[in-house]
Amino acid sequence: MTALWSKLSAVLPPNEEEFPLQFSDKVESSVVSVLQQSRRQLYSDATSTDRTLTAQIILDLSWEKLNTGTWRDVDKEWRCVYSYGCLFKVAALCREHPSADEILQGIRTCDMGLLMGAAIMDNVLQVLVQILQEEVRKSTKEEKINKKRKINKLTKYAVPRIKCPSLESFKSDYLLPLRPVILEATADHWPAFNEHPWSVEYLRSVAGCRTVPVEVGSRYTDEEWSQTLLTVNEFIDQYVLNRVSDGAKAVGYLAQHQLFDQIPELKEDIRIPDYCCLGDGDEDDITVNAWFGPGGTVSPLHQDPQQNFLVQVVGSKYIRLYSPEDTDKLYPHQSSLLHNTSQVEVENPDTERFPEFARAPYLECVLQPGDVLFIPVQHWHYIRSLELSFSVSFWWS
Amino acid sequence: MRWFGFGFNAFGQICVHNELSKDEGRDTVSDVKIMNPTELHRNVDKSVCGRNKCLKTSQIRASWSRRVWLHVDGDSCVCLAGFGGTSVVDSSGCTDTVLSETHLTLAFSDRIESWDLQKKEKTPAWSMEIQPPTDTSGPPLSLPLVPGGYIATKPPFYRSLSPHLKAKSLALGAEHAILLSATGAVYTWGLGSHGQLGHGGLTSEEEPRAVEALWGMPMKHVVTGGWHCACISDGADLYIWGWNESGQLGLPSQSLRKGHKEESSQQAAADCQSASINPGGKPLEGEKDKEVFISIQAFPALLDISPSCEIRTVSCGSRHTAAVTATGDLYTWGWGEYGQLGHKNLISTDEPQCVDFFKEQKLYVVDVVCGPWNTFTAVGEEEVKLS
Repeated sequence: MTALWSKLSAVLPPNEEEFPLQFSDKVESSVVSVLQQSRRQLYSDATSTDRTLTAQIILDLSWEKLNTGTWRDVDKEWRCVYSYGCLFKVAALCREHPSADEILQGIRTCDMGLLMGAAIMDNVLQVLVQILQEEVRKSTKEEKINKKRKINKLTKYAVPRIKCPSLESFKSDYLLPLRPVILEATADHWPAFNEHPWSVEYLRSVAGCRTVPVEVGSRYTDEEWSQTLLTVNEFIDQYVLNRVSDGAKAVGYLAQHQLFDQIPELKEDIRIPDYCCLGDGDEDDITVNAWFGPGGTVSPLHQDPQQNFLVQVVGSKYIRLYSPEDTDKLYPHQSSLLHNTSQVEVENPDTERFPEFARAPYLECVLQPGDVLFIPVQHWHYIRSLELSFSVSFWWS
Repeated sequence: MRWFGFGFNAFGQICVHNELSKDEGRDTVSDVKIMNPTELHRNVDKSVCGRNKCLKTSQIRASWSRRVWLHVDGDSCVCLAGFGGTSVVDSSGCTDTVLSETHLTLAFSDRIESWDLQKKEKTPAWSMEIQPPTDTSGPPLSLPLVPGGYIATKPPFYRSLSPHLKAKSLALGAEHAILLSATGAVYTWGLGSHGQLGHGGLTSEEEPRAVEALWGMPMKHVVTGGWHCACISDGADLYIWGWNESGQLGLPSQSLRKGHKEESSQQAAADCQSASINPGGKPLEGEKDKEVFISIQAFPALLDISPSCEIRTVSCGSRHTAAVTATGDLYTWGWGEYGQLGHKNLISTDEPQCVDFFKEQKLYVVDVVCGPWNTFTAVGEEEVKLS
């Protein structure tokens, strides 16, 4: 038994009898029989080919179920089945002297289960992926890259800046009147700025081989826009560094992804802003998203249904804010899918199609590392990264 | 008619290789993925219903884990194979069948019965009486159509259809449906998220809606796959639409090409350790020009299966499509990882390919029926071809 396999199998039940496989009627008995077959193969002398074959059947079938109907309606049972498929596949891949490539495939499989499946066996996939990551880390070297800071430019209609206001004054001056503000020195204590300063190389070392969703295309309102799955390393290589200078390569953006659920190690580096406690919801209801990409990523002018703290960790972003009171000058799309998005290209508006836009008042800023921008609920915002950037957003109510 | 099957066989629904190895829980790839078209019911002595009649199989249906076949020859007989073993169903007088993963539906002259395959009960889970049709001039309705409506794959089983539609045939996918009316018009409804309704968008439809792009062009045959539809016009042309992620529409599929690239670069990495591989950055030789890929075809597209030929019949699996030409050839395309394309390999393709096996054996293909992950073809004598 390899050292890696002894670590992996220690996380799994010791024998077939203690391995739970219970499903509702939604999962047909033929499918359950294949799952039982995989379980049997896990604890018996099956060949790697056979194990992989059975696991793949489970994955192919449950993948079809996951793509049937709307995502919202997909029965959680099928997402569990998908996760079991990932589990059996990883076990097959990493059992007998896996190559470096097989370990990476195992990590990718865990990620697919984490992204598309549902937690099984106490989130066993999360545990397995961390064991595999450790294995990969042992065989790679790390390099450091130093990043320089850009100078903040003062603007005429600047978003006000305030240093560490009290809860009460934030509530009365900004939250209740729904006024945007940048809170300075509020995220200074984050490990992401101190013990583990975030950089491209740090990200590679913590999450390089992890698979994440990436948006490709200038903005999500474009016809050419699409989403794909890449490892963090691939994303950095293809869209952050080594980019074609003539601009032929499209923009890639790791946007609106709950990265910190997928990679708990990164979650340790951030903190939920204290001011979120002024909301009505639970801490568990706060949605934390990562936004990581090169200079030039654009989020078109849009509004969100919750309060937002946008924390800038690496690099800088140009942000413009419009009040919901001026929505009539912002020409939102008619379709229900894009009703929260303006049709106007903020930094290159078509004045013939959108004549009122120039008359809409706004606030703007360049968000720097350490800044926390409060975007009130339904406040329109447009964001363009000025350089390599990593931000964390907190949606709360 | 002789029948051949290829593709997914994890439950022995095409053929059972070795009883022993099944019990020990050993699958080998060649047992599970049948790449070469294999004849069904070859061994008459082991014929399930104890009669030679399995040779006269007139209809085959397949679900993910099973196959059902019907032979109507005097006393009709319905046999089942796959998950749960092989068995004969009590079915004298049965004229038509529909098979889903959970239910087997049988049509008789006076009633329809749906049997729950997961429970071994002595009575059908559901049944309904039907009046023999008063108008016997037209051909009998085939399942899932029944007088006044159709039988769905899950409860409520009976769904009514407006007589307005003049339903002539109906095919059901997991979440969408396509209906052919007596006038040759095509209607679709259900989930539209992958363009499978053919109305040009991604919205779903609760009620049957005419596929306007085909208006004025009468169709004679309609089928559904997992997320796509195909139909044959009176002029024997093939129209297809829906999701093309595995090339099941026969149109260039980016996800398919990317998948092939990844596999070949992984293989190359395994072969030459010292060479460094650029992770997907550079295009492969010959792909320098910008090709137009289609992942969703929301309007019907005419598919030219070269060399141009008349299409006699078509059937779709979950993510693959199979068509029979008027000249007795079988073409397949789409997802092939279980051997369901019959090209003696496990490669998916977005270009219709002729299944050489039948040409090589000088067999004349007359019909094709697809299960979700496998394909069944009937071959006949060339003299018997219909005009």
